Amino acid sequence: MDPLIVTQAINVVYAVSILAVLALGLAVIFGLLGVLNIAHGEFIMIGAYCAYVTESRGWPYLVAVPLTLAVCSLLGAAVEWIMIRPLYRRPFDTLVATWGLSLLLRKIAEAFFGPGFRSVTIPLPGTIKFLGTEYPIYRLMLIVVSLAVVSVLVIWYGRSRTGSRIRAMVNNPELAQAQGISVRRLAAATFVVGTCLAGFAGVMVAPLVPVQPFMGLDYVLRSFFVLIVGGLGSVSGLLSGAVVIGGFDSVISAVTDAANGYFAVLVLAILFLWLRPRGIVARA
Amino acid sequence: MRAPSIVVLIVIALPLLLGEFWAYQLGLYALYAAAAVGIGLCWGQAGFLPLGQALFFGLAAYLSGFAFIGFQNHLIIAVLMLPFAALASGLLAYAIGYIVFRRTGESGAYFSMITLALSLLAFQIATSWNSVTGGFDGLKGIPGLPGLDDLSDNYYVSAAVLLVVLALAAWLYSAPIGVLWRALAQNERRLQLFGFDTNQLKSIAFGVSGLMAGMGGALYAPEQGIVTPQLAGFGLSADLVIWAAVGGRGSLLGPVIGTLLVGSLSSELRDTLPFWEVAMALFFIAIVLIFPRGIAGLAEPFLRKIEGRKRGRPFIAAPDAPTQRPPAALTLHDVSVRVGEVTILDGLSIDFDRAGIFCVIGPNGAGKTSMFNAISGELSGVSGQIGLGGSDIVGLVPNRISGLGVARKLQIPSVFPDLSIADNLAIALWSGRAAKVQLLKPRLRRWTSPMLEQLQSRYPFLASGPRKALELSHGEQQILELAMALLTEPRVLLLDEPCAGLSPEETDAVMGLVRWAAQRLGGAIIIIEHDMSLVKELAEVVYVLHNGTLLAKGGVAAIQADAKVRAVYVGGEK
Amino acid sequence: MSASRLDFEKLTGGYGGTTIVRGLSGAAKAGEVLCVLGRNGVGKSTLMRLLFGYLPCLSGRVLLDGKPIQAFDPSARHRLGITYCPQERPVFDDLPVRDNLTLMRASRRLGPFRHYFDRFPILDRRLAQHAGTLSGGEKKILSFVRGLAEDRPVVLLDEPSEGVQWENILHMEAFIAEKKAAGTAFIVVEQNLAFAERIADRYLVMDQGRAMLEGSQSTISRDSILAHLHV
Repeated sequence: MDPLIVTQAINVVYAVSILAVLALGLAVIFGLLGVLNIAHGEFIMIGAYCAYVTESRGWPYLVAVPLTLAVCSLLGAAVEWIMIRPLYRRPFDTLVATWGLSLLLRKIAEAFFGPGFRSVTIPLPGTIKFLGTEYPIYRLMLIVVSLAVVSVLVIWYGRSRTGSRIRAMVNNPELAQAQGISVRRLAAATFVVGTCLAGFAGVMVAPLVPVQPFMGLDYVLRSFFVLIVGGLGSVSGLLSGAVVIGGFDSVISAVTDAANGYFAVLVLAILFLWLRPRGIVARA
Repeated sequence: MRAPSIVVLIVIALPLLLGEFWAYQLGLYALYAAAAVGIGLCWGQAGFLPLGQALFFGLAAYLSGFAFIGFQNHLIIAVLMLPFAALASGLLAYAIGYIVFRRTGESGAYFSMITLALSLLAFQIATSWNSVTGGFDGLKGIPGLPGLDDLSDNYYVSAAVLLVVLALAAWLYSAPIGVLWRALAQNERRLQLFGFDTNQLKSIAFGVSGLMAGMGGALYAPEQGIVTPQLAGFGLSADLVIWAAVGGRGSLLGPVIGTLLVGSLSSELRDTLPFWEVAMALFFIAIVLIFPRGIAGLAEPFLRKIEGRKRGRPFIAAPDAPTQRPPAALTLHDVSVRVGEVTILDGLSIDFDRAGIFCVIGPNGAGKTSMFNAISGELSGVSGQIGLGGSDIVGLVPNRISGLGVARKLQIPSVFPDLSIADNLAIALWSGRAAKVQLLKPRLRRWTSPMLEQLQSRYPFLASGPRKALELSHGEQQILELAMALLTEPRVLLLDEPCAGLSPEETDAVMGLVRWAAQRLGGAIIIIEHDMSLVKELAEVVYVLHNGTLLAKGGVAAIQADAKVRAVYVGGEK
Repeated sequence: MSASRLDFEKLTGGYGGTTIVRGLSGAAKAGEVLCVLGRNGVGKSTLMRLLFGYLPCLSGRVLLDGKPIQAFDPSARHRLGITYCPQERPVFDDLPVRDNLTLMRASRRLGPFRHYFDRFPILDRRLAQHAGTLSGGEKKILSFVRGLAEDRPVVLLDEPSEGVQWENILHMEAFIAEKKAAGTAFIVVEQNLAFAERIADRYLVMDQGRAMLEGSQSTISRDSILAHLHV
């Protein structure tokens, strides 16, 4: 097989997998709790900066993971308590509040790290011979990690006790309360899981993109498009959205350029909104 | 009035007071302020938030820049093109609003995200389309406005544009369309049930805001001489929202105060104070969560003194309601609705007479409110026919069905809480009577009708015009909502538990009102009720629903004697 | 499981600005069933929601073993020892029947449910199916079993027999009798008078949010109840 085609194919698989992980945090928060967290991209940014800090301190790359989880869980819990919980019944106000939060986080990052780009060295440099072509090891590893994370999360959500309780809470919050589930606490925990997933995704992509305070905007929009196209509230929705958006974007960007890719994705999202507003996998 | 003259005086005097540099600054920020007023219109009035407003500012700036460069030898033509640049932005905004609102309905989040995406896209296009836009460095060498030399001359032009924008906003806010926007922000569903196309209202609001941003952007090009992609991008979009919020999005001057004060201050302080931007972000969050009225809210008592008292103007008679339309019979034929696994309505067939008071009763889950929802067009997936005066209304959108003469009083009292009683009633009068163009005329706010006068003599509180609806007691809100439904002089009036939660006296009052309305309107009044004493008093015919279908129909005595009905209400061995 | 009683005194409350229930008082003593009867819309479910904490009381008190519990939210009241089976949306449609039963239990084993499966074999057959696929009556049976298996001293049931076939209603009666003998207090809202007559020790008949009739089973005649139930 033509190595160029293989490379492009793996690129598409990479784009889809990484997009699934990037959108996962928002899928949890928006899909399960119904909260559109515009600051989702900023939690990804936090993860990326944690990776940067880890490297600049000379720590092994993996340390970025617990560092990010610590920061994102504390911040996520605080945000949920201060601005999400009081506004659960007012989705528009939640939107404005999280927009304000995203602004704040961007400005804090700018104040600490400056507005310029930072770069993080790839922890696993080099390429490896794969399916007849040379492909970067780190990207291949990210594909594996992405699939692993999504799979583990899906299995856990479907099989575990807590997963069932979250599904119960989402499906019928009154009955969940009646059976003793503290919906407030479970929702807060779910929110924190969402922000931590975003941070983790940030650690993953940090070596491959310029790390700068505005990086989150692009991610939150793409995640949002994935969910519009794929449908909220299900894993198959997330994956189908990632396939469509990620696939479309990488193919068009490869053929023309990144701006066109972005344009195509935006048009696609609006088309879906127009023709099939509940997404490919519409939840009943 | 005194207020506008004071504002104009201040505007003229400023450069003399503050000197050339500040005149220049304020001139620039006046253009941004024009865009911020547009955000105040969308967010503070109509209740949706555009996060990418700079798109329209930048678009007009580029278009204006092309015009000035292209016609640099005949600058007067370029000046004539300025309004068109602004108009282009306005039309684009209307088009985007039209496409997005129709599909996202009441979800403001989707709209906000899409406007954000569009702004980023505009930035991308402006940056990469080098040949046309000059790329990242921007469109340079734009000639200035002809005949102006001084830095402060630009200020006067900018200030004039800002004043035009403010005048436009002031007019629209006091016109019926402004009232409708504010109503939309409070209770969109209710406004649709009065026959107003809320998607179009939002699109118009967005279009006007785009026009306002376009007016600012169009002037930016000749005044500053250079147009860069940042003018269409996220940074300016975000700043506009912040300035509008901090200044006070709900008031006319708030966004201007925010832009001029905060915006121009920021540009000075952001380099000197390291955490200025962080502080601004925190301040924004605090305003949004705690004090949404913003700086203008602080100045409100002072501003009110300047505005002076509004003289009470005389009332104007409204045109006749379209009940030149003949009464229409409402019929349901084999209507079924399923939501997922659950069958809500199951082959429901009822023929209501065209006139009279009818009661619908039945156990919980029988489908009574669902039947009303199907009639008013709020349920999807309805099979069967629902006929009004002979034509099938299944599949029509709620505001069209209301326009055909169906009025509804909802189960939970649903008025526009933050609007005055007078405005609430006016909305009911405009419903079905005001042509769209008339909604731009402030005098419509003084409409009255014979029926309104009769209602006001029965219930004096309905005449306490400026009081806000939320100040009314629960019972009074029920009566207000009922009055509003009656004012549309409908052919079919659907009342969903009109006496829920009312005291016995209030219940008597409502019953009297219903009887009066039946006589006065001559149409059909269909009431869902649980209270059998009310049903006995009012109903000419009683319909019993069970499991989504009609179980029995007849006079009160007949229903009481019906064995099937007893079985349903009492249960028993099956 | 220790015995408890639930009292409510002059309860007044409703939704938002609407007052639906006015000045209701009553009690469910250990080992007794209080049946709340009335036509639709009189406020029976509202009463239950006030008792369990979904709605705030405008005035009046709810007492568990003499201690006021108005300040507690529903999950707290559950922890204090009250089971609630709602009238609408009685199960988790998205979860399998098995998970509906064991969601909040310490173990996932179904041993404690055998006793109920003997009389309601339908549940045993459909353990792996999503509860949303059950019929209305089957959902009510599932909710009923879940509630009783919680083994709490006070049980609130809102129309447990709705959509349930008579033979299964009789099974419900048997299980309730069993629990009564063990000291459980019940408050049961019912539309089905025949069923109510079989289980009730006391009646509370409501109309327009107030108590119309109140008393023990022996003191209230069928006819007087019927008068309030009929349209």
